[in-house]
Amino acid sequence: MREDLESGKDTSRRTGIRPLKVLTMHLLEVKGLTKRFGGLTAVKDVSFHIDEGETIGIIGPNGAGKTTLFNLLSGFLTPDSGTIILKGENIVGLAPHKIVNKGIARTFQVVRPFHHLPVIANVMVALKSPRGAKKIEWLKTMERKAADILEDVGISEVMLEPAENVGHGILKRLEMAKALATEPDLLMLDEPFGGLNPLETDFLTKSITRMHLDEPSRAILVVEHKLYALMKIVRRVIVLHQGEKIAEGKPEEIANNKLVIEVYMGKGIQHA
Amino acid sequence: MVLSYLRRAHSSFAAHVFDIPPRLMVFLFLLILLAVPITGISDYYMGILTSANVLAIFAVSWDLLVGRTGQISLGHSLFLGIGGYSSALIFKYYGLPIWITIPLAMLIGSLFSVLIGFPCLRVKGPYLALVTMAFPLILYRIVKWAPLTPIFGRVGIIVPSFFHFLPIRQQVIAEFYFTLILLFASSVIIYKIANSKTGIVFMSILDDEVASQACGINVTKHKLMAFVISGMFASLAGCLFVHLLRLAESSVFLLTVSFIPVIITFLGGIGTIYGPIVGAYIYSILDKYVLGQMLPNLLEQWQMTLPTEFEYAKLLIFTSIVVILVIKWPRGIARYTTDRLEDLEEARDLDERGPRIWKRYKQKNRN
Repeated sequence: MREDLESGKDTSRRTGIRPLKVLTMHLLEVKGLTKRFGGLTAVKDVSFHIDEGETIGIIGPNGAGKTTLFNLLSGFLTPDSGTIILKGENIVGLAPHKIVNKGIARTFQVVRPFHHLPVIANVMVALKSPRGAKKIEWLKTMERKAADILEDVGISEVMLEPAENVGHGILKRLEMAKALATEPDLLMLDEPFGGLNPLETDFLTKSITRMHLDEPSRAILVVEHKLYALMKIVRRVIVLHQGEKIAEGKPEEIANNKLVIEVYMGKGIQHA
Repeated sequence: MVLSYLRRAHSSFAAHVFDIPPRLMVFLFLLILLAVPITGISDYYMGILTSANVLAIFAVSWDLLVGRTGQISLGHSLFLGIGGYSSALIFKYYGLPIWITIPLAMLIGSLFSVLIGFPCLRVKGPYLALVTMAFPLILYRIVKWAPLTPIFGRVGIIVPSFFHFLPIRQQVIAEFYFTLILLFASSVIIYKIANSKTGIVFMSILDDEVASQACGINVTKHKLMAFVISGMFASLAGCLFVHLLRLAESSVFLLTVSFIPVIITFLGGIGTIYGPIVGAYIYSILDKYVLGQMLPNLLEQWQMTLPTEFEYAKLLIFTSIVVILVIKWPRGIARYTTDRLEDLEEARDLDERGPRIWKRYKQKNRN
């Protein structure tokens, strides 16, 4: 499988052209990431990479370490060992807000809106951060930019409502708007479809796809339980099980991978 | 034609004036306060209102830190004391006039809040409240410490009034106006800060610190900012307080003083600008007039006197009022009133809109 992924190397051998180092540099490179909580190893020696403009999904059963991996990448947890290299720079040990300003934005599995603020002000908080402020286009006010972002995710009608009064579906999209406001190079979505009905899921799938078309250089990393929705938006899937990476590949490959099916469905009777 | 023009002009005027009730209310409130000395009430009552102005500055600064940023401080008397003592010491050793001592006291207050903010803001929630509680008690001991008596004095440092060159009556009136102007200025500044984009970030920290970090906000920096602004205005209040008492004494560092802004802000309404101001007036009138004058006078009619321990029981009365308020009206008196007013306005709007919607509905159905 690993050789499959590194097929770029094979072509270079065949054609005799060595790719430039700069071009092969990944947007994010994770090497040997490990995190222990007491006796439990939540994430164990996980390595992967993300290129510019890729859409990647992370799946795995409950307790596989997906959210821990997310927290490690976004700086809310510090790994025990391993490196996370973003555009050639090690970001291990940096504070969460610094990582956001370097270009990784995340959403939360459980929505975390600012209840006392109107919906538009929720987005303005992210625009007040150094990176968000830098990314505001010339001659554009912060309010205008926030309204545009809300328009993009499709919740501009409730712009002035206090966040405590709006529904869960809107809050889910507000989470995404907050993450998008800093214009990240890597957008990490933690269960974006959690608690949404099929209609909303469909809408969000479409809007993520459209978002990716609008900004092709932005990589998107999605953790999700709803495999059907996930498989439609990602190009590559990483499977975690008990903190370890057990498979990686295209969605079709993963769907037919024996080990993955075993982990998700349990072993068949004939194996027992 | 003229009539219709006048009607339109009136309606636009009404829209401009009556659609901003907060500003109008502030204006009226200020007008009433400005007119108070003309009524010729006694110096004692003027003193109550002056101390209310100072306490309002103190409570407004506390509210910026606690009501808007969510950093619970139960040791705000620290800044009151630092402001007061620094202005008193500057007066004692250098004899500088007030327009120099006030900014200097504010500067020293903000420097101290940076120093104290760094260790304090490493902890959160109830632990922060405990840590902030400890600092004024430390300073209380330092001020009382025997080797430092030559500096801080046995009973405190005696300072003159701001307007010591005027006769007594004018002095009281001048103090009232002076503190009122400072209250107006500092509450406008704090209101502007709280409603700016930085104020939005403060509110986001109050709501969810982790989510605020995930938005790329340097939470520690913004907390420290709130701490410094709050400390600065609290030390302004301290400076005024000391010059009103004509004495800088160690009791300003006591825990009871730290609870005053808590009581005031909960009386008025937390997380607003008018809340602490209204609360401060209610508190001062309750404290000095109702419990300090009306009650003893009433008891005198029945040949009774208040025990001297009553001073300490006052805090008990106020804390029980706060407990009842928190349960009954958690948003405070002033905020409860404005909410009621908004409800009324909404009802009026619905009344106006109602028939029109009904008409449109009927038209639609006819076609």
